[in-house]
Amino acid sequence: MPVVDIDPDELRRLTGHRSKDDDELRQDLFGLGIEYEGETEDGDFKLEFEADRLDRLSVEGIARSLRYHAGDDRGVDIPDTNAPEWAIDVTDVPADRPYVTGAVIRGVDLDADALDSLIQLQEKLHATMGRKRAKGAIGIHDLAMLKGDTVDGDGTAARSLTYTGIDPDGDTFVPLDDDAERTPADVLTEHPTGETYADLLADHDTYPAIYDDIGLFSFPPVINGRRTEVTTDSRELFVELTGTDQWTIDRMCAIICYALDARGATIEDVTVDYPDRELHRPDFAVRTKHVSHDRIETLLGVEFTTEAVVDLAERAGLDATPTDDGYDVEIPPYRVDVRHPVDVVDDLGRAYDFNDLTPRYPDVNTIGGRTESSRLERSVRQALVGLGFEDLLNFNMTSEAENFDRMRLTPDHDAVGAAQPATIAEPYSQDFTILRTWALPSLAMVLETNTHHAYPQDLAEVGFAAHADGDTQTGVAERRTVAAVLARNDASYEDAKARLQALCDEFAVALETPPTTHPSFIDGRAATIEIDGQPAGVIGELHPGVIVEHDVEVPVAGFEFELDALR
Amino acid sequence: MQLPTQQVAVLDAASTDDPQRIEALAADTDYPPETIAGAALALEAEGLVAVTETTTTTVSLTDEGHAYATDGLPEVRLYRAALDAGADDAPVEMGSVIGAAGLDGPQVDIALSNYARKGYGTIDSGALAADPDADPENDPEADALATLTDGDSVDDDAVVDQLASRDLVTVSERTVRSVTLTEAGVTELMAGVEATDEVGELTPELLASGEWADVEFADYNVAADAADHTPGKTHVLRQAAERVTDVLVGMGFQEMAGPHVDADFYINDCLFMPQDHPARNHWDRFALSNPARIDELPDALVERVERAHREGAGDDGDGYHSPWDEDFARALALRGHTTSLTARHLAGLADADVEAPARYFSVEKAYRNDTLDATHLLEFFQIEGWVLADDLSVRDLMGTFREFYSQFGIHDLQFKPTYNPYTEPSFELFGRHPETGELIEIGNSGIFRPEMLDPLDVDGDVMAWGLALERLLMLMTGFEDIRDVHGTLCDVGFLRNAEVVY
Repeated sequence: MPVVDIDPDELRRLTGHRSKDDDELRQDLFGLGIEYEGETEDGDFKLEFEADRLDRLSVEGIARSLRYHAGDDRGVDIPDTNAPEWAIDVTDVPADRPYVTGAVIRGVDLDADALDSLIQLQEKLHATMGRKRAKGAIGIHDLAMLKGDTVDGDGTAARSLTYTGIDPDGDTFVPLDDDAERTPADVLTEHPTGETYADLLADHDTYPAIYDDIGLFSFPPVINGRRTEVTTDSRELFVELTGTDQWTIDRMCAIICYALDARGATIEDVTVDYPDRELHRPDFAVRTKHVSHDRIETLLGVEFTTEAVVDLAERAGLDATPTDDGYDVEIPPYRVDVRHPVDVVDDLGRAYDFNDLTPRYPDVNTIGGRTESSRLERSVRQALVGLGFEDLLNFNMTSEAENFDRMRLTPDHDAVGAAQPATIAEPYSQDFTILRTWALPSLAMVLETNTHHAYPQDLAEVGFAAHADGDTQTGVAERRTVAAVLARNDASYEDAKARLQALCDEFAVALETPPTTHPSFIDGRAATIEIDGQPAGVIGELHPGVIVEHDVEVPVAGFEFELDALR
Repeated sequence: MQLPTQQVAVLDAASTDDPQRIEALAADTDYPPETIAGAALALEAEGLVAVTETTTTTVSLTDEGHAYATDGLPEVRLYRAALDAGADDAPVEMGSVIGAAGLDGPQVDIALSNYARKGYGTIDSGALAADPDADPENDPEADALATLTDGDSVDDDAVVDQLASRDLVTVSERTVRSVTLTEAGVTELMAGVEATDEVGELTPELLASGEWADVEFADYNVAADAADHTPGKTHVLRQAAERVTDVLVGMGFQEMAGPHVDADFYINDCLFMPQDHPARNHWDRFALSNPARIDELPDALVERVERAHREGAGDDGDGYHSPWDEDFARALALRGHTTSLTARHLAGLADADVEAPARYFSVEKAYRNDTLDATHLLEFFQIEGWVLADDLSVRDLMGTFREFYSQFGIHDLQFKPTYNPYTEPSFELFGRHPETGELIEIGNSGIFRPEMLDPLDVDGDVMAWGLALERLLMLMTGFEDIRDVHGTLCDVGFLRNAEVVY
C-alpha cells in the first residue's frame, strides 16, 4: 500500500482548516481511511492508504478529499483551461510505447515544499498507476527552457514539440544529475537512473525521445535532460507523459494538473497530433455512471430520499442528477477507481459513514455441513489420537533432499512416496522447492527436531501430498495421506502393525500386509499395505540409514497409506 | 482398637524406653523397611509412637585410601627415602629419591604436592631437602587411615575433610529413624489392639472369591506426583480449525474443497485482479515450473472473464486499461488464497450450479512467499466464507460477521472501509484483543463486484470474508510464535502442553 509523506502545515493551509491540531488532523484522515503510520525526521506525517485513490497521492489531493469530507466543497470541480499554444507532434514512435499526453502549466509558484510535493506525487504515480514507469512515465520541464518552432497559422497551436523514436545511439543530450553529453544507449549503462530503468527498453529497436527546436530534451521513461530541469524559480511548466495506454497516462496527467491547480496555477491545453487523430489534453472530460436508487438502498440497506442521495454524492465530490429510476452521477477526471456504479454506491456509503449503519443478521436460510472427505479426515485423526498418536500438522512444501535423499528414495523408484514432484519455479528458500509426495519424511523431520524430548514419540499426520500427473486437470494429482511413526527404545514392526490393524478395524476394512521392499525401510521388515485387496501404502521399520540421517537414536517403525482407502 | 497388621506389628515390637531403629523393627517383624516406615509414620500421626530422627556420618576408605593404609602415604615414603639419601644434611637430586621411594605414575605428583604442605621439607629447582625435625610416625592423615582400617571412627573433622579432598575416604550421611512407644500407645496396647486384614492391590482373585468384602485396602499417598503420561492429542491448530468449522456449520455454511495448485485464472483472473497488478508478478507468489500451465480452461468462461477485464460489467462499466493474456491466466501456482475455491464454486465447476440462497466456507491452506517470523509462515490456514442471496446489503455483511466473531469472544467489531480489487464496498475488520484490549485487524471482507460475478454467471449478491486461522488462534489463546506450532520445526513439548481449544 502506498505511503506518502505529508507536511501537516501544508495540509492545514490547503484545507483552510488552519486551527486544527495534529490529533484532529489525524482523526479526519482516519475518517477517509488514511492511516497515520508515524512521523518522518522532518515532522511530516507518514500516511498509508489503499491503492485505489491515487488522486490522494499528494498533499493537494488529500486536502481536496478532506474539504469534501468536511463539507467545505461540494460536487465536481473542473479547472478552467486556456487554449493551446503548444502541440506534441507524434511521429515514428517506438511500437511498445506509442502514447503521449501532456499539459502546460502557467503561473506556478513553487517553494521548496511545493516542489518536493510535486516530485513525490510524480514518484508515487510512477510506482502505482505507472507500474514502475512501464505503463506510464511522467516528465516535468521548465517551459521557459523550451523552444518551439512556429507551426502554420491555423490557430490551433503556434509551437510544437516532437515525440518520436530514435536509434539508441542516434543523438546525445545531458541528462539530469550529469555533466556529460550521452546517447540514450550510454545513459542506460553509464547513468545510475539509466541503469535502474534499462530493463524497460530491453526489447526496443528505437528509444522514445522528445525534441524541441533546440534538440533532444527528454528520454522517457528513463530521464529528462538537464536543460529543462525544474527549480523553485520555474514559473511555467511543461508536463509530458508517455506510456503503453492512453487512458492511463491521461488519468495520471489529470491528477498532476489538479494538484498544481490547487496551488493556484493555470492549466493550458496541449494538442497531441497523432498521424491519424488529434487530441486536446489534459483530458478533463467527466464520465457518467447511471446508478439506480434501488441499488443504493439494497446495497447499503438504508432508505434514502432523492435529496439525501444528491447530498451524499456532492459530499463525495461527485454530482448526481436524478433520473426516472436513479441518478446520472458525474465522475471527476482525477478519479481512476470508479469503474462501475457499485463504486459510486461505495462513495455514497463512505459519505454517509458506514459505521453509522446498524448491523442485522440476514434472513437467509441455508443448511450447513462438511464435505465427506473432511468428515473422514476428522474421524481418522480422532482414531489415531485414540490410538495414542500425537496429531501433527506439517508444511506441504518441502525440498527434494528431505522428501527423497534423506529417505534413501528417488523419484524413479517403484515405491510409496516415489513420484515426480510438483516443482516451485523460483523457490524462495532451498528448504521449500517442491510439494511433498508423501508425509513420512515430514514426521522424520519432526523426530529430528525433537530428540531432546521424552520418548515414546508416537506421531501421526493426516495431510496433503501431491505429485505431477499429466492426466489431471491441473497437472498435479493431489491426495490426502495418513502417516504415522512410533519412535521408542523397543519400536517394532509389530507395534506399527497392531495400530494399523486397529485403525483398519475401526473403519471396517480388510488389511493385508504382503512383504515388499522399500528403500526407506529395513529389508524383510517392510510390507505393502493392502486395504480391501488394493495396494494403499507401506508399513515397516525405518531403515537405520534413515534414522541415523535424522540424528535419531531410537528405532522407528511407521506406515503411510492413502486416506481414501478407508472410505 | 483395630489397626492394619503392619501397624500392630510395630506397636508390639516397640518399647517405651529403648528406641528401635526402623531397620531393626523390619528385621523383627519380617516386613520391608519402607512398609515399617509407613506404618510408624501412621502410628505417629495417631500419637501411639514417637519417631525420632538422627543423622549419622559414616567415613569409609576408598580403594586408594586402602592402598595408602597398607603401603604408606606417598609423601611419607618420599620423606623416608629422602632421609636415607641424606637430604636432611644437604638437598639431593629429586629423581633418584623418587626412584628409591618406589613412586611412579600419579603418585609422584601426589607425593611432591603433599611433601611441602605437610612440612617434610622443601623442593627447589629439582633438588629435595628434608626437615630433620619432621615426624612421619605421627602423621595425622596416616594415623586416620590406620584408624579407619581398624574399623574405628575418626573424630578430627579437619583431617577427615583433608582425606576426603584427596579422595582417600568417602563421607556419607544417613538419617536413622527410631521408634519409641508413647504413653498413649501403651494404653491402647493394654486395652487390646487387633489387626485388620489389609491388602495392597485389588486383584482378580479378590474379586472372584468375594474376599474383597472382608479386606481393608492400604492407603496410598494420593497427593503424590504420578509419572508423566503423554496422551494422544489433536494438533492445537487443528482444534482451532475444528472449532471454526463447528461455528460455520452451525451458521448454515457448507464446506468447499478444491485444488491447492491451480491456474492463475481461478486464483486471480476470476477475481477481477488485473494481470498487471503488482501482486501477480510479485515474488510473494509460488509459481510452479513443473507443471507450469493448465491445459484446459472453459472457453466460454475465459471469454467472459477477459471481457470483464477489458470492458467492465454492465452498460456503463469500465474495464482495466491493462493487458489481458489467456496464456498468463493458464500459469499454475500454489493458491495464494482459498478464494480460488470460491471462484470455482461460484462458476459451478466444483459442485452443481450454486444458486441463491447459499452459504459456503473452507478452512484450508493458502501459500504466500512471505518473510518467516513469529506471525508469518509460508503456509497458513485461511478461513474463507461467503453468502449468496438476493439483495444483500452492507448491513447483512456486518450482522453476519458480528455474529461469527462473537462466537470467539470478539465483540464490538469495527468496519474500516478499504479497497480490494474484487469487492465493493470492502471492509477491514477490527476487533479488540480479549486480553490486551488492543484494536487489531482480524479479517477482510466485502461484497463481490459485478465484474467478478457476471462472468461466473451468478444471480444474486455475494458477500465474503477471509482471515488467517493462525491469527484467530493467537487471539483466542494468546500464544505468540506460530513457528512452535506449524511445520517440521514444531516443538513436540509445546504441542503436548498446549491448552485444549474448544
